[in-house]
Amino acid sequence: MLKYIVRRVLQMVPVFLGVTILLFVLTVVIPGDPIAMRMGERNMTDAQRASIRKALGLDKPLYQQYGDYLVRLSKGDLGESSRARRPVLSIFADLYPNTIRLALAAIVIEIIIGIGAGIISAIKRYSFMDVLVTLSTSILVSLPVFWLGLMMQLLFGIKFKEWGLPYLPVVNMTSDQFPPWAHMIMPSIVLASVSTAYVARIMRSQLLEVMNQDYIRTAQAKGLSPSAVIWKHGLKNAMIPVVTFIGLDLGAMMSGAILTETVFNWPGIGYMVYQSILQRDWPVVMGGVIIIVFVVMIINLLVDISYAFLDPRIRYGAESS
Amino acid sequence: MKPDISEAVPDPGDHHPDGATRASESTLTAEASSRTLLSDALRRLRRNKLAIVALVWIAIMVAVAVTADLWVPQTLGDPIKIDTTKVVGLSLNPPSLAHPFGRDDLGRDILSRVIYGARVSLAVGVIATAISVMLGLIMGALAAYYGGLADSFVMRLTDVFLAFPYILFAIALMAVLGRGFLNIFIAIGLLGWPTIARVFRSSILQVKENEYVDAARALGAGDLRIMTRHILPNAVAPIIVYATMSIGGAILTEAALSFLGMGILPPTPAWGLMLAEGRGFIYNAPHLMIFPGLAILTTVLGFVLLGDGLRDALDVKMKD
Amino acid sequence: MTKRLRTSLALVLVLALAAGFAGVAGCTPAKTATPAAPAVATPVKGGTLNFYIGEPAVIDPIDGQESEGIQVINQVFDSLVDFDPLTSKIKPAVAESWKPNADATVWTFKLKKGTKFHNGRVVVAGDFKYAWERIALGSNASTISYHLAPVKGFDEMQAGTATELSGVKAIDDNTLEVTLQYPFADFEYVVGHPALAPVPKEEVEKDSKAFLEKPIGNGPFMMTEPWTHQQGIKLAAFKDYYGDKSFVDGVNFKIYKDDEAAFTDYKQGNLDFATIATGQIKATVKQYGESPDGYTMNPGKQVILGSELSTYYIWINTQDATTKNADLRKAMASAINAQAICDVVYEGTRVPASGPIPAGIVGYQKNAWPNNSYDVARAKQLLTKAGFPGGAGLPEIELAFNVGRGHEKVMQLIQADLAAVGIKVKLNGQPWETYSSEWLKVKDGKFANSDTHQLMRLGWLADYPIMDNFLYPMFNSKSGDNKSLYVNPDVDAMLKTARETTDAAKRVKLYQDVEKKIGEDQPLIALVNYRHVRVGSDRLHDLVFSPMGLAALDKAWLSKAAK
Repeated sequence: MLKYIVRRVLQMVPVFLGVTILLFVLTVVIPGDPIAMRMGERNMTDAQRASIRKALGLDKPLYQQYGDYLVRLSKGDLGESSRARRPVLSIFADLYPNTIRLALAAIVIEIIIGIGAGIISAIKRYSFMDVLVTLSTSILVSLPVFWLGLMMQLLFGIKFKEWGLPYLPVVNMTSDQFPPWAHMIMPSIVLASVSTAYVARIMRSQLLEVMNQDYIRTAQAKGLSPSAVIWKHGLKNAMIPVVTFIGLDLGAMMSGAILTETVFNWPGIGYMVYQSILQRDWPVVMGGVIIIVFVVMIINLLVDISYAFLDPRIRYGAESS
Repeated sequence: MKPDISEAVPDPGDHHPDGATRASESTLTAEASSRTLLSDALRRLRRNKLAIVALVWIAIMVAVAVTADLWVPQTLGDPIKIDTTKVVGLSLNPPSLAHPFGRDDLGRDILSRVIYGARVSLAVGVIATAISVMLGLIMGALAAYYGGLADSFVMRLTDVFLAFPYILFAIALMAVLGRGFLNIFIAIGLLGWPTIARVFRSSILQVKENEYVDAARALGAGDLRIMTRHILPNAVAPIIVYATMSIGGAILTEAALSFLGMGILPPTPAWGLMLAEGRGFIYNAPHLMIFPGLAILTTVLGFVLLGDGLRDALDVKMKD
Repeated sequence: MTKRLRTSLALVLVLALAAGFAGVAGCTPAKTATPAAPAVATPVKGGTLNFYIGEPAVIDPIDGQESEGIQVINQVFDSLVDFDPLTSKIKPAVAESWKPNADATVWTFKLKKGTKFHNGRVVVAGDFKYAWERIALGSNASTISYHLAPVKGFDEMQAGTATELSGVKAIDDNTLEVTLQYPFADFEYVVGHPALAPVPKEEVEKDSKAFLEKPIGNGPFMMTEPWTHQQGIKLAAFKDYYGDKSFVDGVNFKIYKDDEAAFTDYKQGNLDFATIATGQIKATVKQYGESPDGYTMNPGKQVILGSELSTYYIWINTQDATTKNADLRKAMASAINAQAICDVVYEGTRVPASGPIPAGIVGYQKNAWPNNSYDVARAKQLLTKAGFPGGAGLPEIELAFNVGRGHEKVMQLIQADLAAVGIKVKLNGQPWETYSSEWLKVKDGKFANSDTHQLMRLGWLADYPIMDNFLYPMFNSKSGDNKSLYVNPDVDAMLKTARETTDAAKRVKLYQDVEKKIGEDQPLIALVNYRHVRVGSDRLHDLVFSPMGLAALDKAWLSKAAK
């Protein structure tokens, strides 16, 4: 097991380096001059420009700039935003908790509604509920999330208020009208929408598959009640891929949710990186993506390890390939 | 049986802009094992009512989009042209009999724009997916067939691509290429290949173990011949399923990029762009947002249901 | 229990979705009754005002450049002079009086005694010198250093050969003397810019990073806690402020990603001041009432639509092979139906412009440029004169613009208008960030990245309410803001003469002549003059939002009868 973990960690190193190279290449090939960006519409003299370039180390050859960046990165220094004059680390330290909060809320929804719907539709296969779940999960994965978000704001936030019904906060993390938790309802539902549908689908298909296995049939033959069979034997085994999926999804959500953040004015990291791409604020883009990739990799590693623990049938098959 | 835990897990964020993970690969690799007779598959597909409805719906969309020039501008109105002397009276007209989806703020018929928008969305879906599939097949084949260093390199490259947050990557690529119709194909196409490469690679690895490949080699068949005659046909099922679902994903990605102002340029009627332009009218003229949104929903749904149907049809485990 | 719970949860999910469609499809704009304005409007003290802004780049005056940061800086800092929020007339702030010498090269400002910083220290003339040097110093790379360009010693500070702004002298604690490199009769307006305020040296030197997050100024409001990025900036009334005390206890600048998100939150009652989303203007006026003067918000008269000191226009490259043809430029200017743009995109709340200078600036001339109005017949005539009858032989012209805020729509309307007279136009939309600094970058009389730009959308907002602030940067051949690459030695000379003229009436006349002169060449097409499209809450009284886009929050008050 330890050998497997070590190997997985070592495998992460080239990927991580690859990401930094890719990022660096992107910052070079994306047209746009970060210095000019910062100055907005105004012009500056060549001398002014040269001194800023020098101060930022942009006058050095590219390989040296990359090398310098890696050296600084290894010391945990992600540099300073070229627009806001703030350390990149403190920018993300401010915003990451908001992303995590939203992600966790979304995961809770996935677990409760996704797994619940999946179990129902597997147990009552071909019933009305099953068809309903299948159809609604298909619809959820086909919806543009920002559209869903805007429509929900219109209905539950604005129209409900106009009609005198209880309504939900539309944007932001806080307001004078609502407790903070209420602000998480709509964004977390929107963020969770696609994944909840997937969880339900995976849950359903896994449960159906497991219930076809011999040992379940044996249990049934022994006279155990159907619900006992499902709870004691079926669920546990069917759960493994579901848990894996949810774990990985948590990782994916840690990279921020640009569309949900945009629609609900949620101060998360995804929108920050997106804006920084537009503003050519490369230290923020590079630092942000590096943090994201690092966090996602760690989560994926944890998921893989727990997957190996959960399913003793798998003897770290990765080692053979 | 899960072949490889690093592959049994879905690819993070693929085609789902907001961090949602996609489940397709796990189901695909697991089912990529055996050969299926085409006729068998077709028969099963025909029994799946939802998939047939989806197929018919897609066919209707294609037919309408292709023939649009012949009848749409004549009956509903031009999707792009504006008459600025009349625009004030036409702006934001609600749905009516003659103009069932109403008019947008610049007085253009929304149904006409939705129909022409189908051209854009279908083209983005199909062409971007085609680019992904081509790249994925080549990279996957290189990795699986030659193994060793080539394999390691390609697999790490897919890791790098998949580690990068999907929508941010798409935005960065659009920033490199610039906004526009062709660049959308390229940006979305460039992002989709790693999953295909992985699916294809593991399919090949399974097939490669089969005796008939050894037999073919013993008979003196070359690499290319073995690849095209023996391996490709056997690995094709999961690719077809994945590609079908990818088309829907590419359409959603285009909509997201256009919504963020990084996609297609006006005045081209594209659904994502129409949603972005209609956002301001959500309170007083919601038809600007509802119809393009429904167009995206039903089209993507069509490809998702068809993909589901194909997967079931091509899956041997479903036979019993 | 669990089984039922799961079922109902799944049901809720599906029903919510179905309800979403049904509800949206069936809705019509509901009319909520406008709350009646209180009969007697006696200012009430107290309350916190929630004010919409976008995430500022910086709120330290050193980079007080973009509209969002300036909004905050304007509350936290006070400069030498200020402008009346309604009339734009200059009025004393920290300075109680000032006067120039005969040729307007030396300016002496007398400061009020005993005005205080938020840390309690008295503001002295040296604080201005320190603040300005901080901005002028080249290595500080301030984005607003250009304001101080007329000051003697500025070039040396920029080049790094001096650490002192030689033209600025603190004669004593209450006297500031400023020497300019050249005569500039309008310099008094420049020092009214909110970012040229005094800065307490001891606070910056103690911790410049902390100052960036929580600047300490001398304005009516002070920061109580550091800026919460992407969320908000909280201000409280400053007890020792030298001017009139504010009515509200504090201001909460709430940060939104776009106008739409903020407007949605406004609709739900969480904001006292917001921007109306594109397409919502008429409906909002109907629901919340329009302010009679266009700048002052009061309950029932909550929407302000007054003119801003800014113009929306299309630059035409005067050096491009095709668009260097002046008759073609005039033909295009005549072909565009600006009224339709105002009616459709701005819902009738903006007015067509006929020249670069907006109404509200002293010296504004109606119909300044004769060809800058919609006349299809004249457009066709001019097009023939230009050598392209009906557009024959004219290559496709590119129109570049930045996306968002309704620009796409304006550009599509222009495209349609030009097509109607035979001029084919291709649209090219770019994100603002790349567009403003990369695309439009002008260096040595050329575009830095390409020479193919032909038509380019842009807008100009006044830094100070004077004609010079439009004409000098936009049309002087040496200016980087001159995106038409317009070179006219006569215009250059006339602008120089105007700047040196100390007689105000004469100066305005000279600027008017330059404006007319430039019109003969039509280096740009003036489209519309911006207007405010802002809305206040039903508890907000007497908030004035100036033509320059700055809020006078210290005079606003909130009804006690809040929700």
